[in-house]
Amino acid sequence: MTITAHGRHTETHEPHWIEWATGMISALVVLAMIAWVGWEALRKDALPPEFSIAVTRRTPVEGGYRVEFDITNKATKTAAAVVVRGEILDGGDMIEDADVTFDYVPAESNASGAILFSQDPGTRKVRVRAIGYTDP
Amino acid sequence: MSGVAAAPGSGTGEFHHFLVGFGRGAAGAMLFGMPMLMTMELWHLGFYIERYRLLLLLIVNIPLLVILADRIGFERTSTWREAFRDAAIAYGLGIVMSATILVLLGDIKLHMPFSEMLGKTAIQSVPASIGALLGRSQLGGQAGGNGDSDKDDPKGEEADQGKEGNAVPNELSISYSRELFLMAVGALFLSLNVAPTEEIILIAYKMTPWHALATIVISIAIMHGFVYAVAFKGTHEMPGETPRWHAFFRFTLPGYLVAMLISLYVLWTFGRLDDSAPMQMLISAIVLSFPGAIGAAAARLIL
Repeated sequence: MTITAHGRHTETHEPHWIEWATGMISALVVLAMIAWVGWEALRKDALPPEFSIAVTRRTPVEGGYRVEFDITNKATKTAAAVVVRGEILDGGDMIEDADVTFDYVPAESNASGAILFSQDPGTRKVRVRAIGYTDP
Repeated sequence: MSGVAAAPGSGTGEFHHFLVGFGRGAAGAMLFGMPMLMTMELWHLGFYIERYRLLLLLIVNIPLLVILADRIGFERTSTWREAFRDAAIAYGLGIVMSATILVLLGDIKLHMPFSEMLGKTAIQSVPASIGALLGRSQLGGQAGGNGDSDKDDPKGEEADQGKEGNAVPNELSISYSRELFLMAVGALFLSLNVAPTEEIILIAYKMTPWHALATIVISIAIMHGFVYAVAFKGTHEMPGETPRWHAFFRFTLPGYLVAMLISLYVLWTFGRLDDSAPMQMLISAIVLSFPGAIGAAAARLIL
């Protein structure tokens, strides 16, 4: 409890037990947090970003065709300005390509997006891959 | 304390007094809301924020304003009814001021969809309404007229107690929960200021876990130093015989935890935690808790 008198605040000498209980719980949580971050700091080398991309849905949209995908960064470093390129391949020939840029793909996290093609890939192969990134 | 409730006789004086309070509220809304009203990310959030998160923020703001009004409302004798009234006025002022300034800045235009205008105004009204409430009480200060200055005026205090039986005694006991609540308000306010910007997550991405560890320690140290060591006006004192570490455990560490929780809530509200790994969420929260902790400590001193 805090006593405010004449504009000064003075903490009471005899605190309620709940103040100590809250204090102890907070101390434990803060220590746990420090331990977790510390463990993370010791355990991990900073691995450069590594992406895996999975196409989740393909739907025709007005004036084209949408391919939605999830991009996962498995590494412990975040990538910025990640450019993902989608290509429609017919045998060895590239029929159409389209790019999309992600501001960030955080470490060990997902991001999702979509590529819009002007045509339905049909039975042709669709390849989606990350072609570059910058360090944040 | 010769406010609206205490001076029923003077009709014009009462109205003038109300207008002054209103003006202070509007000034406070501008003063505290302006940084956010001029933040691009917050305009964008206004239309893409998920509506249930916005709704939750708007609802959470109501009890927050009411308790804040009860605690610091410019009538120190305020009842819950008056606290509700003050909170409603502050929220209203926050909405009107936000909408007006957004229109002035050309950020709200007639051809926009209604939900966009609504979202932009709604998200800005939360910090602006807190500002309106703070403006009414803090800008009031010793300016006289509303009798806030009677803290240092024993005669006025006696007179007020004579007039109103339920007057708060000069020695005010702030319960522990109130103290934590004030820290939460301070942390929320500063967090709302900086959380919408992209910089917060960018900083979190740039940081290594070592940086994060240092930030935790420094946040806690600043928080403790702000309240107990550096002698600002309103600095909290410990009775001579109490060891200094008592305050550290009873106030500073819980305060930091409050700042952390508020940071997580604000980050979640703005969608900054979506699809992130737990470690990334934690580091973002640690980054945001840095200003949050300063806000929490400042709130203990100012409010």
